[in-house]
Order: sequence, then C-alpha cells, then structure tokens
Amino acid sequence: MSHTPTAIYSCPDIPSKNFEVDITQERFNTTNGKSTGPSEHVLNAGQVDQDKPSDPKHIDDDSSKGLTALSKLRCQLTGLQDDINDFLTQRMEHAKNKKLKVSDEKRLDQEINELLDGGDGQDE
Amino acid sequence: MVNLNTIPPKNNREYYIAIGLEGSANKLGVGVVKHPRLASHQSGDNSHICKAEILSNIRDTYITPPGEGFLPRDTARHHRNWVTRIIKRAIKEAKLTDPKLDIDVICFTKGPGMGAPLHSVVIAARTISLLWDVPLIGVNHCVGHIEMGREITKAENPVVLYVSGGNTQVIAYSENRYRIFGETLDVAIGNCLDRFARTLKISNAPSPGYNIEQLAKQCKNKDRLIQLPYTVKGMDLSMSGILAYIDSLAKDLFKENKKNKLLFDQETGEGLVTVEDLCYSLQENLFAMLVEITERAMAHVNASQVLIVGGVGSNVRLQEMMAQMCRDRANGRVHATDERFCIDNGVMIAQAGLLQYRMGDVIKDLKDTVVTQKFRTDEVYVSWRE
Repeated sequence: MSHTPTAIYSCPDIPSKNFEVDITQERFNTTNGKSTGPSEHVLNAGQVDQDKPSDPKHIDDDSSKGLTALSKLRCQLTGLQDDINDFLTQRMEHAKNKKLKVSDEKRLDQEINELLDGGDGQDE
Repeated sequence: MVNLNTIPPKNNREYYIAIGLEGSANKLGVGVVKHPRLASHQSGDNSHICKAEILSNIRDTYITPPGEGFLPRDTARHHRNWVTRIIKRAIKEAKLTDPKLDIDVICFTKGPGMGAPLHSVVIAARTISLLWDVPLIGVNHCVGHIEMGREITKAENPVVLYVSGGNTQVIAYSENRYRIFGETLDVAIGNCLDRFARTLKISNAPSPGYNIEQLAKQCKNKDRLIQLPYTVKGMDLSMSGILAYIDSLAKDLFKENKKNKLLFDQETGEGLVTVEDLCYSLQENLFAMLVEITERAMAHVNASQVLIVGGVGSNVRLQEMMAQMCRDRANGRVHATDERFCIDNGVMIAQAGLLQYRMGDVIKDLKDTVVTQKFRTDEVYVSWRE
C-alpha cells in the first residue's frame, strides 16, 4: 500500500482546506515546481541558479523502472507546495483587496465628516 | 547559584554535544560543539570558560550578483536546498557515528532575522529532532554571537559591540539580561555598507563589506577625509542619512557631474575623489560613531573590556580604532574573533543553545519552535550567568 502526503489548512474565517496528491497531474511528477523556482528579479540580474533541486531518480538509475520512493515523495511534495502557494497567494490578494476597499470607505467617511464639520473638502 | 551541570549528559558521558543550525540571513551554517562536564561548572559564573571544542563549523553563503541584495524568497530557497547536505557534512566532519546517540541537543536560530530563511532552517531542525529523538532549543541569534565571543576570547564581562548586516547594538550584561545601551535608529551598519557596495556595483563575494574594507585600504588620501554627516544621538546612532549622502556622491562621481565641487576641481575639471576615498571616509566616519557610543557605555558600567561580535566585527580597521580607544582607558582591552566566529555560523547557536540546555531549558512542544523576525537581545533570560 502506498501512502501520499496531504496537507490541511485551517483558519477561523474559512472551512478547512485539504490539499491532496493527484499523480495524473504533471505537477506531482516533477521536482521543479512553478512557484518554487528563483525569482525573476534575480535571474534578470544575472544570477546563475545553483540551488535548483536535482531531478527525480529512477530505481537502479534505469528509466524503465520508475522513480525511487524518496523521489516520488519529493515530486508529490513539490506539487503540494505549488497548490498551497497558489492558495495562499489568492488569500493574500483577497485580504489586500478587502483592506483597500475598507480604507477607501474609511477615506470617504472621513471626507464626508470633514465637510459636515465645516471643512471645504480641499487637501491642505 | 548557577549550576551548568543541572542536566546530565546523554548516556552517562562526561561531555555534552550540541548541533547548531543558523540561517537568519544569507549564511547557512551548521556547527557541532562539545563541552566537557567540569566540576568548576557546578557553581559560580563560569559560562565563558566552557572549554568548548569545536568539532565542525560548516557554512554556505547565498551570494547574489553585484548590485543586488538577497531577497527572502531566494535566500530561503538556497537554505532549503543546501541544509541537508550541510548537516551531513557537519556530522561527518565532527566524526559523529550515530547522531541519535551522540547529540544531546539540537539548537536552531529562533530569531531575529528574515522570516522565510529562518523558516527553512527550523523545518530541518524539527525534522532531525523527530528523526533522532533529540530535544530542540530555540536560540536568540544575538545571544549566540555574544556567547561565542565570550567563549573564544574568555572575556568575562565585557561591553559588547554587536555589528552586523541586520543589527547594531551596544550591550552590557546586568541581572540576567543582556541590556541594550545604544543601537541604530534606522539601518544597521552592515546594511549601510552592503547598500553602498550595491551602488558601487562591487562583488558580493565573499561579502560586500569585506570588499569595501579592501578598497578603503587602497585609499591614497587618508589624511583628507570627505566630510560626511556624523549622527550620534545620545547612546544611539543613525546611518540612513549618511548612506543617502554618500550614495549621491558616488552617483555624481560615476556620472562625472563636474558641478560637484567636492568631487571635481572647478577650474581644471580634474577628479578630486576616488571610489577608494569614499570607502575609506565612510568606514572612518561610521566606525568613529561606534567607538564613541561604545566608550560611553564602558564609562556607564565602569567596564574595561570590549567584545566586538557580528560580521562587521571582522573588519580590521574597526578593531584597530576600538583598540586605540581602549588603550586610552585604564586596563582597556578589545576582544574580537576572526571570520569563522564573527560571521554568522552554526557553532555560535550550538554554544548558546547548549548553555541554555545545561540550565534545564528545553522545548517540550513543537508549537514552541515557531521562529520570529523580531526577538530583541534583552528578551532572553540569561540563566547561565549570575
């Protein structure tokens, strides 16, 4: 029986979110994640990537024999990490937008209050 | 009464072994340290004479191209990809055959530092703790520097000048805390030097500060300092204004802005200042400020010894200037270590962590291993000193 890693994200404001491996998807069969590479900024600055994870290894170095157990695990974790990163990025974007909206409403309220207090609505 | 032998070593041995993992910035370090169990540690303040034996001290630095700093995400990625290999090398060099039986405690940097790199390293620490069934200890990075410096130099109760890329503090010990007497109000001294190195587009290998030091040594106009702001504010200092000013001078120099009277002769248009002159003046100015606040702290606590720790502490010119100040004081003495122990390393985390462990301080729940970007030196209760 083979085991695959899973991850659970829990937070008071949303129901728990489960992350599971789906080996039919390409992202669970590589050690090169789409969100775990070097940032574009350093690559554009001329950085040579020396921290790249090694490729998954095959049993007895024979490509017909399938991946070693540890390599399978590394690939599955890479895919999970990508899914978690995507999810957390969305959460951050959502929180950012919410904050912007709130601060926008706050600013309008403040401007209205200033006008009601006898201000002329002009910036100083 | 301090008893450093509170917890007996593993397997009835007469010595303790600790492994330390450091990764709060761009250096990833793993070190192994061994303390003999001495009768002199049964009572009294002897934490600076542990007779520590350094079994291994491995480090790998994330280096970026000239003109670039190190970003948290990429630094964390570097640490993630190298930490297993560095741990293996440290264990091999320390000649530990079975870490599960040999190691008393695993020490990791709890903070302060960059969040993502700290996180990469603590995950490795938790993993080997579970794998080997060895307890964990979270260590304050600054306290690690101090305890390593005390052990190497045997300075009993010095005023500590902690100067690195992320911290600039003048510290003195009092009543179980390392108290901060003075510190930077904005950027750290190492950050100031690193950012100037970026403006100059000089290499980040082995470190930008080292390359500035080498350029400063080549200055041919050492008797003619470029006037820079001198911003000591009581016991504190500020360096962001100095950086902005010298950055603007360097940019004018590169653009050959002949209107700048400081840099170019207004009649002949000849250059008056070189990059080496800028590096020399910047170092002299910043180090003079450090010497001033350190001397004031020494006067406050009536101390005669200074211990310089942190990456910038390996700068020979800073050590010279501090020694000059100490010579003018009765019995004054400056203590410093070389780059193996000044620059971030794993052994310093092992040294401070082992002192904590020997006093009975150990993490009982993995929940307590959460790392933190903000962790001030004076938050740590120093139980291993009187």
